[in-house]
Amino acid sequence: MAARESALVRVLRIEGVPITAVLLLLVALCMVFAPEAFLSYRIYMSFLVSFSPLLIMAAGLTLLIAAGEIDLSFPSVVALSGWVLAYCIHEHEAPWLGLILALAAGALVGFLNGVVVARLGIPSIIATLATQFLWGGLTTGFSHGLSYSLGDIDELMVCKLFVDRIGPLPVQCLWALGLTVWLWLVLNRRPFGEHLLFIGDNVKVAGLVGVNTRREKTRAFTLMGVLAAFASVLLTLDNRSFFNTQGAGYLLQVMAAVFIGGTSVFGGKASLVGTAVGAYIIAMAEGGIVAAGVQGFWVRAVEGAVLLAAVIGYRFLQNPEKGLAPVRLLRSKLGSVDR
Amino acid sequence: MKRLALIAASGALALAIAPNGPARAEDKLGAGITMYFQMGGNPGDGATLPRTNGARAAAEALGVTLKEQYSGWQPETMLSQFREALAASPGCVEIMGHPGNEAFAKLVADAEKRGIVITSGNSPLTKLKDQYVANGFGYAGVDLYEGGKLTAQKMIENGKLKKGDKALEYGLRAQAERGKSDQGLYDTLVAAGLQVDYIEISPEVDHDSSLAVPIISAYLLKHPDLKAIGTQHGNVTAFIAKALKDAGKKPGEITVGGIDLSPATIDALKKGYVTVTLDQQLYLQGFLPVMQCVLSKKYGLSGLAINTGAGVVTPGSIGALVPLIDKGIR
Repeated sequence: MAARESALVRVLRIEGVPITAVLLLLVALCMVFAPEAFLSYRIYMSFLVSFSPLLIMAAGLTLLIAAGEIDLSFPSVVALSGWVLAYCIHEHEAPWLGLILALAAGALVGFLNGVVVARLGIPSIIATLATQFLWGGLTTGFSHGLSYSLGDIDELMVCKLFVDRIGPLPVQCLWALGLTVWLWLVLNRRPFGEHLLFIGDNVKVAGLVGVNTRREKTRAFTLMGVLAAFASVLLTLDNRSFFNTQGAGYLLQVMAAVFIGGTSVFGGKASLVGTAVGAYIIAMAEGGIVAAGVQGFWVRAVEGAVLLAAVIGYRFLQNPEKGLAPVRLLRSKLGSVDR
Repeated sequence: MKRLALIAASGALALAIAPNGPARAEDKLGAGITMYFQMGGNPGDGATLPRTNGARAAAEALGVTLKEQYSGWQPETMLSQFREALAASPGCVEIMGHPGNEAFAKLVADAEKRGIVITSGNSPLTKLKDQYVANGFGYAGVDLYEGGKLTAQKMIENGKLKKGDKALEYGLRAQAERGKSDQGLYDTLVAAGLQVDYIEISPEVDHDSSLAVPIISAYLLKHPDLKAIGTQHGNVTAFIAKALKDAGKKPGEITVGGIDLSPATIDALKKGYVTVTLDQQLYLQGFLPVMQCVLSKKYGLSGLAINTGAGVVTPGSIGALVPLIDKGIR
């Protein structure tokens, strides 16, 4: 019995297994409550479309949070890079140039964030809040507040490469998953990832043992900028339009995906597998609840309850012994009262 | 009476911008007046830009110094921006009615006491307008309930909807005033005998409506016999076509009633995914309050209540409007 328990505990300690179990439970519940929707492949494909940019941004943010930093400016990078790409397609019919400039814009914003935080020593939460306003405002100014419809761009090679469908499968989810695997390798197998975790754990000690903390932080912010820009490319191409509030709804969703996935809010510990599964849970939460038949003003409340239950369930599965501690405490209290 | 007042006001405006050589800034009718103006959403979004352009054009023509305020449609932000505006003691303030009469009552009373002209747009404040109409408190916007009702009527008419058909309304009924248009749409569909489900738009979708796509898709897959979708959210209207495509629906298979004319909505109208969209003529919602401000401040004229949205745009009528939409006027 003890051997079986320890095997189960060992399985639950594999990265991402507890949160995956929570996801499977949620999908099973959705299948019970909304079989018409959840026994069809279409709904999963629809979720994968919104999951892809969410995951790319959440994966980038996971690395930053691992280093004990935060980036609140990425929604504005989504708007800025989306405008750059849309402008190049709409005004100059130059999608590849647009792609390169969009990614460069993201890299520039990320690099400047890194300079302000790592070189000037401004706390990242304040610095990136300010740059969120700055770049969001500049995007509105650059675009003169106009939205662009990109029309029929399906035949462009850039669309076929990034947002086409292989059968019903959206190509962008392959890009998102591929990037996440690469970032997992960077975080867990490369010195850069090791340095980020070290910095997140204790920045002073990391500096003392020779880690160039400023450079590594700047690189992490730059990477976040590029990833947010790439997410924007996927969003803009798939939506076939640009609007300058693009990205504004992703701030809390991306952060929720990271933290539901088990990355420590204090830095030094991160799980990209958890982030990927967390991103899928966030992407499907509201749609799943609506498909299950919840209506009117209750959707938001049920969504909150589901996410809270998911986090508690995840914590319990991750550490069953710790999860049962309150129950044991309650039992012992009740026992002492009985005696 | 209202019509006469409007003609008089338009005449005064025409005199102010008449082509007798370029008027010097200090000679313009509104010279020296500063006006704070609540634009609604975010700078440049499809449901805000024509209003901004209208207000700027009127301010330029009349020589008014315009201070723009954007709230992301958040009622609490509108209230705090109104407090900020009053602190600057401007000549006029245009407010949006989303927080409701009660929330604004004390602040408006204080402003009126100080001689600041207050007027309203987009979402009405009927009680306050009735109370302060003599001081220039007007309204430029759609009669929200009637706008929702008109959208639903045209959905029924153009989509040939009948009793027993299933419909979804995706709206913001939780917001005090803005929710009235969704209520009008809902009530009209229900009164016609349709079975209507309602889903409230989340704050995330309110900010970035591309997030509505998986939600609407999921609902469509759960309800394959759905006949109609209605919303009075401009940016959500723009993304309904994508949700329909994701759910495997063809143009015209679902009757869609929405609001406003963003580029994506125009595409959806042209392709037949959107059946009707209420045209609020947002440009007027920017232009008219500035005119109201100047005429009330300068000549003490009373407030005008003007319904700016009396019609819908359909796939058949969209073509002629496109050049103006591209310029952010319609």
